[in-house]
Amino acid sequence: MNALARLGGTRIAVVLLAALAVFLPIGLVFWQSALSGPFFFPNHEYGWAAYQFIFDDPDFWMAAKNSLMIAVGMIVIALPLGAALAFLLSRTDLPGRRWIEVLVLIPVFVSPFVLGFGYVVATGPVGFYSLMWQSWFGSVPWNIYSLPSIAIIAGLTHVPHVYLYSSAALKNLGSDVEEAARVTGAGPLRVARSISLPMVAPSLLYSGVLVFFLGFEIFGLPLILGDPEGHLVLATYLYKLTNKLGLPSYHLMAAVAVCIIAVTFPLVLLQRHLLKTANRYIAVKGKATRQRLMPLGRWRWMALALVGGWLFVTVVVPLSGITLRAFVTNWGLGVQWSEAFTLQHFRDLAEQPGVIRAIFNTILIGVIGGGLAVACYTALGLVAHRRSDILTRCIDYMVLIPRAVPGLLAGLAFLWVFLFIPGLKELRSSLFSVWLAYAVVWLAYGMRLVSSALLQVAPELEESARTLGASRTRVNLEITLPLIRFGLLASWLLVFMIFEREYSTGVYLLTPGTEVIGSMLVSQWAAGAVDLVAVLSLTNVLLVGTGIAIALKLGVKLHD
Amino acid sequence: MLNRRRLLTTALTLAFAAAPLQLLQAAVPAGYPASYQSVIDAATKEGKVVVYATTDAALAQPLIQSFQQLYPGIKVEYNDLNSTELYNRFISETAAGAGSADVLWSSAMDLQVKLANDGYALRYTSPDAKKLPDWAHWRDEVYGTTYEPIAFVYNRKLVSAGEVPKTHADFAALMNNPKFKGKVTSYDPEKSGVGFLLASQDSKANPSFWNLAKALGGADVKLQTSVGAMMERISSGENLIGYNLLGSYAMTRAKKDANIGYVLPTDYTLVISRLALIGKASKNPNAAKLWLDFLISTRGQSLLAASDLYAVRTDMEGNSTGTYLGRVLGGAMKPIPVGAGLLTYLDQSMRLQYLKQWKAALARN
Repeated sequence: MNALARLGGTRIAVVLLAALAVFLPIGLVFWQSALSGPFFFPNHEYGWAAYQFIFDDPDFWMAAKNSLMIAVGMIVIALPLGAALAFLLSRTDLPGRRWIEVLVLIPVFVSPFVLGFGYVVATGPVGFYSLMWQSWFGSVPWNIYSLPSIAIIAGLTHVPHVYLYSSAALKNLGSDVEEAARVTGAGPLRVARSISLPMVAPSLLYSGVLVFFLGFEIFGLPLILGDPEGHLVLATYLYKLTNKLGLPSYHLMAAVAVCIIAVTFPLVLLQRHLLKTANRYIAVKGKATRQRLMPLGRWRWMALALVGGWLFVTVVVPLSGITLRAFVTNWGLGVQWSEAFTLQHFRDLAEQPGVIRAIFNTILIGVIGGGLAVACYTALGLVAHRRSDILTRCIDYMVLIPRAVPGLLAGLAFLWVFLFIPGLKELRSSLFSVWLAYAVVWLAYGMRLVSSALLQVAPELEESARTLGASRTRVNLEITLPLIRFGLLASWLLVFMIFEREYSTGVYLLTPGTEVIGSMLVSQWAAGAVDLVAVLSLTNVLLVGTGIAIALKLGVKLHD
Repeated sequence: MLNRRRLLTTALTLAFAAAPLQLLQAAVPAGYPASYQSVIDAATKEGKVVVYATTDAALAQPLIQSFQQLYPGIKVEYNDLNSTELYNRFISETAAGAGSADVLWSSAMDLQVKLANDGYALRYTSPDAKKLPDWAHWRDEVYGTTYEPIAFVYNRKLVSAGEVPKTHADFAALMNNPKFKGKVTSYDPEKSGVGFLLASQDSKANPSFWNLAKALGGADVKLQTSVGAMMERISSGENLIGYNLLGSYAMTRAKKDANIGYVLPTDYTLVISRLALIGKASKNPNAAKLWLDFLISTRGQSLLAASDLYAVRTDMEGNSTGTYLGRVLGGAMKPIPVGAGLLTYLDQSMRLQYLKQWKAALARN
């Protein structure tokens, strides 16, 4: 009793609520995987039949192999490019750094679904870039639907993830060591290779694990690019199981999800371990002198070309594809753009009440939902703030778990939670259900944002209040929260953008009134309404763009 | 389209203005028994009908508007889902007793029949049921509402008139033409319920279907999950021709996209129908009856015909009707009968066996 009292009632309540939100849906998935049929039918039996089925299915092994290949490919591409990008943007006098920094993050906030579709229109066999290339050089050397293409695109679009972590580490590092190397005559390349990179190696390793792990979850890109040639990955294999037997095979889907968790959860733990090591390294800071930028000299324009090339392939190509598709009736071989141009798709959009609601809801869930989610993350963050008791450790691990479940199945699990947990039925057809699913799925991401804001508060301030007799609640309300308000605002904006882009989680929670653009994209793509998908994708990109613009206007740093 | 809708609205407004009393109480549609008034009254009390459908919300918009003009007191909550999500949501919600759709309206004919077979459907004799062809309804539970022929769809700019296949045998022969290697598309029966239904019906209707499947495999067919994805690729010229696409979608798209052409095979043309049923646990069963009746009423049928989904009723005239297609193509029209026959391949082992055979014919492992 005494021990419980020491932990504090409010703290326990907060942790319990979070645990409920995390473990209920995941528990359902695990339970379902051990049954022979839908858990809500009376005639199911316990057993390992579901696992037996998928392990006997050659498709499963093909999907697993492809996932592994894509994940490895992503590391090979994203790690060096992300590190180079971080070095160039935070350590050198690369021209146009400020602008490039903003553009670099775009792939993080644009739905992979939108990217994939954009790539088809732009660089598919008859995409407009492909046709242009063909008219110049005779033949198109790439096939966007091949497995290596998927891995390359996935790798290129994950460069920002590596960039984020390595540039944060580089910025925390004093520039004196590099300075010293340069004075003794080392060129920029040598400095990067022998000094800067080894110093941020732990962060690189961390982001390498992150990218590898994201490679196992990847869904939107292979769904669009892998279909025509039959390339499955684990997440699209799971999706395929919704249909393979003609009837929903929940137990099979759940078993695949458990397999994915079995791969990703150890990675999440490894990541956590690496993060601790990385933070320890960062403590070896140089003196707090102002960082001096390294002149690139004759490498300047080559470096710019490298960055520009990456931006072109990763941002300009897919976004121009999607934009173009939104304004034409048809495209491809022998199409005159002037004849195909139309604004009709936008007019059609305005005539559909469901779509208008989706746009409105997407803004709502980003702005209000994002704010609420940050409030919840902050509450959890405060529970763990400056303490290292059992509750803190619980939170540490708990927040990582949802990260390991594919969004589509997380959404289905939340549908079940809302259907079968008494008292929640009424909330199912409200936006609350979508919000809760989003907030839980992005728990790990949000917690990282909030806790990095919390870490920036110097402990002296809180301690002085404590010594004057203020309670913890009072300290939180009057010292900590006001101090991190700017950090929280930044987190809100980032969560807003992540919520705008989320797409697979909401699919099963889609009802009139809970439409969001992301899930509508998936269902409209399946229904074949390509015009609508293009216009909605463009709307989505514009929403995210507005978010970034507001963030920059407010002076929010898009990363730490 | 817009103009016609506006005209209709104007006409209806005038009609209502002429008889203001009508506004208070929706009238029994012509030809229905007078006792129908009690259904309308009960439905008006219920106040809404929840529809889960696979038909595009955009296509259904005229239907919803017209229904609401007929019954202003009944709100239509229309959910546009894909057929698997529809089925999943319905059985989950019903199991939870959470309230689900009142009407299910889906093109996955097998899943709809399965629902009825599993006891999820309300038995109800629609006043217009006798106007439907015999194959289009089952046990007073499941009703066919459309008449959608399955077509070959091709790119009109890139496939010459001489190349366009007229029969399934033509199609198989075309696959030997190197021009079409890697440029043919069709449904993936493993990932698409409709695709499976069509392929399995093909193998019943066509003794040389497996040769056709081999030819498709030889031409390195690109398999997709949605008709939209296939049509997008045919229109852009990435693929040249598509096998087993829903003719209704192709017709709609062909109207605004000059690249899309389609042909109904003359040896046999499969026809699928969107099936409607009322959930047994429906919370608004009377409103559900009105919606179902409306779909197969002359008014509903002409709106469906206007959306290229084709009227299934035997007493409808005009180019967008099953009767007309039957006249043009004669005995070649092969509607897939609504009934227990559709359940065969929902048996897990039968289905897996069929898929195995399909993959072997395509020579894919």
